[in-house]
Amino acid sequence: MKVDHSLPLEYSTKQNGRNIFGFWVFLAAEIMLFATLFTSYFTLEHRVGHGSSGAEIFEMTPVVIETLILLTSSFTVGLAVHAMRIGNKKAMAAFFVITLFLGLGFLGFEIDEFMTYIHEGASLQTSAFTAILMTTLGTHGAHVTFGLFWGTAILMQIKKNGLTTETANKSFIFSLYWHFLDVVWIFIFSFIYLKGMM
Amino acid sequence: MSELFPRKQIMGFVFSLVLTAVALAVYFLHLSFAAGIIVLLITAFVQALLQLVVFMHASETKDKWIIYGKVAFMIGIAIITVLGTLLIFLWDM
Amino acid sequence: MEFFERFAIPNPSIAIYASMVAIGLTVFAIIAGLSYFKKWGYLWREWLTTVDHKRIGIMYLFSALIMLFRGGVDAIMMRVQLAVPDNKLLDAQHYNEIFSTHGVIMVMFMAMPFIFAFMNFVVPLQIGARDVAFPRLNALSFWLFFFGAMLFNISFVVGGSPDAGWTSYFPLAGNEFSPSVGTNYYMIAIQISGIGSLMTGINMITTIFKMRAPGMTLMKMPMFTWSVLVTNLIIVTVFPVITVALAMGTMDRLFGTYFFTTTNGGMDMLWANLFWVWGHPEVYILILPAFGLYSEIISTFSGRNLYGYKSMVASMVIISALACMVWAHHFFTMGQGALANSFFSITTMMIAVPTGVKIFNWLFTLWKGKIRYTVPMLYSLGFIPLFVIGGMTGVMLAMSAADYQYHNTMFLVAHFHNTIIPGVVFAMLAGLTYYWPKMFGFMLNERIGNWAFWFLSIGFCLAFFPMYITGLDGQARRMYTYSEATGYGPLNMVSFVGAGIMAISFALIVYNIYYSIRYSPRNISADPWDARSLEWATHTPVPEYNFVIEPQVASSEAFWDAKKKGHELFSGKPEKIHMPNNSGLPFIMSAIFFIWGFSMIFSLWIPVIISTIAIFACMLYRSFEKDHGHYISVEEIDETEIKLRGVN
Repeated sequence: MKVDHSLPLEYSTKQNGRNIFGFWVFLAAEIMLFATLFTSYFTLEHRVGHGSSGAEIFEMTPVVIETLILLTSSFTVGLAVHAMRIGNKKAMAAFFVITLFLGLGFLGFEIDEFMTYIHEGASLQTSAFTAILMTTLGTHGAHVTFGLFWGTAILMQIKKNGLTTETANKSFIFSLYWHFLDVVWIFIFSFIYLKGMM
Repeated sequence: MSELFPRKQIMGFVFSLVLTAVALAVYFLHLSFAAGIIVLLITAFVQALLQLVVFMHASETKDKWIIYGKVAFMIGIAIITVLGTLLIFLWDM
Repeated sequence: MEFFERFAIPNPSIAIYASMVAIGLTVFAIIAGLSYFKKWGYLWREWLTTVDHKRIGIMYLFSALIMLFRGGVDAIMMRVQLAVPDNKLLDAQHYNEIFSTHGVIMVMFMAMPFIFAFMNFVVPLQIGARDVAFPRLNALSFWLFFFGAMLFNISFVVGGSPDAGWTSYFPLAGNEFSPSVGTNYYMIAIQISGIGSLMTGINMITTIFKMRAPGMTLMKMPMFTWSVLVTNLIIVTVFPVITVALAMGTMDRLFGTYFFTTTNGGMDMLWANLFWVWGHPEVYILILPAFGLYSEIISTFSGRNLYGYKSMVASMVIISALACMVWAHHFFTMGQGALANSFFSITTMMIAVPTGVKIFNWLFTLWKGKIRYTVPMLYSLGFIPLFVIGGMTGVMLAMSAADYQYHNTMFLVAHFHNTIIPGVVFAMLAGLTYYWPKMFGFMLNERIGNWAFWFLSIGFCLAFFPMYITGLDGQARRMYTYSEATGYGPLNMVSFVGAGIMAISFALIVYNIYYSIRYSPRNISADPWDARSLEWATHTPVPEYNFVIEPQVASSEAFWDAKKKGHELFSGKPEKIHMPNNSGLPFIMSAIFFIWGFSMIFSLWIPVIISTIAIFACMLYRSFEKDHGHYISVEEIDETEIKLRGVN
């Protein structure tokens, strides 16, 4: 495998470049995945049947906390990649771990949010609105959950093999995934929660 | 490409917090629906752009125009899908 | 015993029981044959674990041909049933099942794998690469398609076939009106297959952007590769949409949600909307590679460069954008207002323009060319007038006000078969004939191929043109019979005769394959058609590594210029070549997806949970896997090259 030392480690082989490019294509596809969920959400938003509407069940505090946690985790994963680029393996791993813990925290708040909705009578099977709400939030949450497992697997590989062309490549791709999830959350925050509470 | 102090990341983080606060203002200042949606659209897309360019290093390699082109195409089709669906079901049914 | 009752067919018939027996016998025969000839090891090593794009392409090809058979049998049954009024061959239930499976199989499990076959086999060779960007992912794409197709295909003997049409509209597709598992098969088998398609999209786009031979700029790529690039852009854009829609449909049927129901806020029309946001671009996914093949074939057999390269590229890009903006023309009559309909009417009519540009470019390529009437060229020449007719009826349908008359009549059925058969099927058969020698080392018989073409063209016209007339007269689609008083009888009889002629044509194609395997000479040149692009600059059979040395490209007709102008394609000394290893993981993971899918369909929750965990375990294994491929040494390369050069 030919290594090009003039490029950052994660780009430094031809296959690495292809992996990153291919992941961008995947993220483009994910844009459409979430766009479809949003399309369905806007169509079904006010079709509440016998159940509650968004304004009735959304609460500002947990939503703001979730947003801040996710924004911070995006910041820390950015710091991790930055540390990786200057070759500081310890700092990178530390910021990576913080990112994953923040993700776990986000999930904790979101699960609590879901439990609250269910207690208030707004479950997946209540109405079209709750179905699309839970599915959209749940799809994002499932992506975060997958990310936690994936990130942990990468961390284990870094611990075992150090910062190689492969682990650097995987870490960079993970950071792209994590930033993307943050972007999706911004849209959820703006057009599901805030729009619903306006 | 590698400065020691993560200046871009910190500035980006602060900017994203600012944009979030602006978005929250829609709720706390009780803006009208139309005004609120416009503000939210602006803050959301600007934050997305911020993540794309600053955090995701989209502009770094020689593939950048392909990446930008692809993301732009996708966002375009996404907007058409959302607006087309709303036209069919909400605005003209 | 009660547990097994869920697998029973809700609406059995003699034909279905006979098929059960036939399937059982076939499976037994395959297992017995493989064991007797001790070929399990060969099968596993050479085909089930391959990551070679050429082998994967061939597997897609044979899957498509087998599915063409099943879809065709469905079609013949429909045509027989409708040949005379008040026919009693099929009742309404079975007719519904047949047109549903006919549609899904022909679109998802025949046409898609057919185009993937050519994309996989040809594109890396055309751009001078050794494989696609992600060979392992490529294998996974194929096996997911395969197991998705297998899952769909057993529906009619285990549990019951889907019967809500290939479009599976709600509320018909909901639990109230489709209580059998048939629609579950629909939702889940297409989902599994669709994931494979999305992965192919990512793979092909990365391959084309990142792995072209030096000197091959985007505007010097062969036109087929351009068509594949644009097609995969559309795939990546719209397959996520059907993924979400199918998931929502699955949740409605299995988890009691209210997305597409008629109560509790559900909106059944949302399904139709999302389905067609995917469904319309899907037909452009089918036609664009066909256009690419026609460009290659027409230019090769006219002996001329393709006319209007830049406008060909531009038209495909414009088509891809417009294709995503027209979807509502599939449901003009669903209840939305005139403003919405007008918007989609206009965008639909606009798509005819870039398509017309392409037709004219092909005509200009033919003009003053030295035409060779080979079988691929015959299909391409037949395509032009027949597809134009289909396109024109498309513009008729595009006028939303007029569509209230045409919608869901046989006129519509005629239109889309008029575009898909001369458009996609002719291209697939042309491509099959054109690329067969490169894939297998011998030519398909020209005379039999000729007969097949003429039978297909004439049979097609006889089968489908009457439908335009009966449709305008009021014959609805998806209706299992009609009364004598309607007067549809005679023209439906003509359609039936046409279908029979088409069946003969397909029999001739199968016979051609058999005849050619037996009698075609094997010492053909590596460039039997005197072609123009890089895939013909390889040996036949193509070695594992495709090219010894990366070709240097200087024009859009790299191979032609090398032959005629002495441009040197390959310069330099061979170095050791890095190739990926085979892997059983794609096959295994897809087999687990089959189990997952089957369990979901029948609501067997424990197997669902176990197989879900197993799928993630496969991904985890892959993440930790240390597999860096292998090197082919220069000595091995030299040996292979001498052997192959000796042949051609």
